[in-house]
Amino acid sequence: MGDEPLIRWRWVRRNWSDEILPALGDHIVLCGISVLIALAISIPIGIAITRYRRAQTPVMFLTGLLYTIPSLSFFAILITFPGVKIGRTPAIIALVAYSLLVLIRNTVVGIDSVPRETIEAARGMGLTSSQILRQVELPLALPIIVAGIRIATVSAIGIATIAAYINAGGLGTLIFRGIDRDFPTQILIGAGLATLLSVLVDFGLLAVERWLRPWSRRAAARAA
Amino acid sequence: MIGFRNVTKQYAGAARPAVDNFSLEVYDGEITIFVGPSGCGKTTCMKMVNRLIEPSSGEILINGKDNKSLNETELRRGIGYAIQQIGLFPHRTIAENISTVPRLLKWDKKRMRDRADELLELVGLDPDTYRDRYPSELSGGQQQRVGVARALAADPPVMLMDEPFGAVDPIARHRLQQQFLDIQAKVRKTIIFVTHDIDEAILMGDRIAVLKEGGILAQYDKPEKLLTEPNSEFVANFVGADRAIKRLALTCVGDVQLEPVQGDGQQLPHVPEDENLRDVLAAMLAGGTDRVIVLSCEGEVRGTVSEQTLRSLFRAPAAERAASGAVQ
Repeated sequence: MGDEPLIRWRWVRRNWSDEILPALGDHIVLCGISVLIALAISIPIGIAITRYRRAQTPVMFLTGLLYTIPSLSFFAILITFPGVKIGRTPAIIALVAYSLLVLIRNTVVGIDSVPRETIEAARGMGLTSSQILRQVELPLALPIIVAGIRIATVSAIGIATIAAYINAGGLGTLIFRGIDRDFPTQILIGAGLATLLSVLVDFGLLAVERWLRPWSRRAAARAA
Repeated sequence: MIGFRNVTKQYAGAARPAVDNFSLEVYDGEITIFVGPSGCGKTTCMKMVNRLIEPSSGEILINGKDNKSLNETELRRGIGYAIQQIGLFPHRTIAENISTVPRLLKWDKKRMRDRADELLELVGLDPDTYRDRYPSELSGGQQQRVGVARALAADPPVMLMDEPFGAVDPIARHRLQQQFLDIQAKVRKTIIFVTHDIDEAILMGDRIAVLKEGGILAQYDKPEKLLTEPNSEFVANFVGADRAIKRLALTCVGDVQLEPVQGDGQQLPHVPEDENLRDVLAAMLAGGTDRVIVLSCEGEVRGTVSEQTLRSLFRAPAAERAASGAVQ
């Protein structure tokens, strides 16, 4: 090793468009698809269990259970299922499963955070249940749902690196190959880009969250 | 306009009904107060009008029609609704909040905007300052005004108000009450107004229904009658041992037969002619005198009134006072 540099920039430049960028793209697609599917499942379920409270405990228990499965075991278990081939599909299934807990929970918390008197006034003024949901509950819950998306996406970006082990592609591929070849540059580029992606998504969604709450932003500005 | 006919509300599992065989007539253009201790079913009675609560038996007639026969949401859009907790939409601006029902009724934008501005003026908030603010940027008293403005937005003939001024301090509440009476003098809505505060009931009400625990109507009368002739121990206690003094509050000093000023009345306290007799008595007690000078709204001396006069008015039955022109 000795005078071996930590990162060989020449390798990075040479492999940027053939290996690194596609891995980054795969990673974004993998996480994006997973979180979108998870959202499409979680929001209706979240809304439903604020209406049928009795379903809340079993749903939260089940999604909590899914969340506790260690990721590598989860991928491994999935590929033993008939019809599930190694590759992107089991990775997406696992990432969706991991996202459900936080997304459903934040949907419920968001809707529950709407003041009772606001709902009561809305009903008293003649808004129908679906108008109350669309015009009052969801807009008020949205910032909290976006906070959930933020946590789910950042987690997914982390977990997805491991999914490279079952051939799902993404930045994990660089890390695993780097380990195999004992080549720190490749490991650090994979890990570094995954971290950078997490940080960017985190800040981006935080900004979206703030933007969705002009009312509290303005009140804070006035109080300051 | 609104008639309660033998309305009973029995909740499943409750030992006795929340509202028990409640019948009364709410008259057009009047403020009818439902007052009583907590648990007397006053809010339940009110909420049955716009069907937020359905009665177990009996019916509620609105313009002669059973309200069960009317479409629930249309019924509610036609009835103004203001509650103590206000329930403004935190994510909508003041103008948008006020325009809630107009929007449901699909008014065009300009009409909604003009109406919101008009109502902000009416409740004493400058439209240019407040229309684009969010509720969290307003004080409690300002929010309550917006709540009332929102209830008035589509100009409904009927309004339901559940302690609409309950969330503010006593001074602000008194101002809101006075202001609302001024508004009502202009708009003449048919209002059911729920409160637990008998003073508010007497100040605001054209008629007062006193309810007792278990949702039983104890007495339904004009404030004057309620104070002079409570029909039971319960009502007498509820209106309070000071009901005689409260009665004084119903009459303006300007409506009383005044006496000319004797000699120089310089030392006597002055009161404006629109002061009520209770406050006049308070002014006498504070000034240590048995007579005060009454000033017209323009500040000119109209005459004097003595403690003696107050005492005699006090003893006189309502009918005689009306005959002598003492009752407004």
